[in-house]
Amino acid sequence: MTRIFEMPAVGRGFISDLQLPTFEDPAWTTPVPTNQRRVSIVSTAAVSQRGDKPFSWLAKDHRTFHKNDRDLVMTHVAVEFDRSAWQQDLNVIIPLDRLEEMAQDGEIGSVADEHYSFMGAADPVTMEKSARAVADQMKREGVNTVFLIPI
Amino acid sequence: MCGLAHYFESDGLSTVLVGFVREHMEAIKPARGLFLDFPMGRGMGKPNDPEFQKKVIRAAFDLFDVETGPVLEDFPETIPVRDGRMGYALPPELVLSTSDIGDVDSLLADVQAEMDALLPDYEAAAASRGRTTVGASELALKDFAPFISEFIRGEIPKSPRKGLPAIPLLKLVVEDLEAYYTETRTHRDGIDDLELIGKWFWEETKAGRLLLSLEAISIVSDNKVMLQIVEMSLMAPRFWSEGPLPGTSAAGW
Repeated sequence: MTRIFEMPAVGRGFISDLQLPTFEDPAWTTPVPTNQRRVSIVSTAAVSQRGDKPFSWLAKDHRTFHKNDRDLVMTHVAVEFDRSAWQQDLNVIIPLDRLEEMAQDGEIGSVADEHYSFMGAADPVTMEKSARAVADQMKREGVNTVFLIPI
Repeated sequence: MCGLAHYFESDGLSTVLVGFVREHMEAIKPARGLFLDFPMGRGMGKPNDPEFQKKVIRAAFDLFDVETGPVLEDFPETIPVRDGRMGYALPPELVLSTSDIGDVDSLLADVQAEMDALLPDYEAAAASRGRTTVGASELALKDFAPFISEFIRGEIPKSPRKGLPAIPLLKLVVEDLEAYYTETRTHRDGIDDLELIGKWFWEETKAGRLLLSLEAISIVSDNKVMLQIVEMSLMAPRFWSEGPLPGTSAAGW
């Protein structure tokens, strides 16, 4: 298992020194039954539809993309993660095809129409307003389950 | 990411997240977390491997069956990384100085020729995949290297893209250039190896040399943003190196 102390010096120093948010009372929402799950993906890969405004380097906002949209580009500020994987297959970071297959097989209820992307390099505390707006949008669409995937 | 999970969960949505840094997941305590011992950038593990991807999703979604939380589990399979680094990193000794750059016109011509030679395979890759990730900058392929070269000549050119200043645009052009090469090579040669692909692009191609030249110029730049880009490893992949880029303090971090 790769732990922080095993990482090379520059990355280890950065990751060790990050100020992590704390939540006094961690939230807990009881899940709905499997066949009622309507799932939306939230990615912090800073992907967006081609032509969207690029993310700023410490963006607090988000972008929305449709479940059928595969023409996505990435404007994440960081370069420490592997980009060759998503270039080969979008599903390795945003598994829309896999979720559709699982919905067809009855492993989940359905896949939401809309999915969301944030800038993972930014402090999540600054994203709260945008996250709450996304939550409202999800609930209007009948989403009850969120799958969060970092880059 | 763990913080976002808290906001959604507190708004009445059930969440599960996957993550690469277990210590952060332990500290922030999202409602449901699945730790992945994978390189960063590969949340579902393996491209073009639907069964492996579904194993990850199922392991994550199994956490919805746990009645109380926070719950943190480990995905049982590992995708090994090299020496603890979660992505490719340039060798610390591979650093150019401004005196190494040489004739910029000649380097630019070399890169343009290299790109021209790759074009049929790039187009085949995009056609096969039905998509390309190249294009975040919205510059034409033929303009990537000339735009970068202007910076190497010591100029900060006017941004051709309305609403996006030249330096943020430069970063997108750099990433577009790299994606052009790596999309091509992974498809043409059937390679899925982030270390090999990183080594090839950054250490062996003319385009890689162009970007190392840009880094050399940036280190000595009077422009604070250009300096910040290299100090924070936001252009050349040095985040996972054993030590900061020579000439910088990594103070940006």
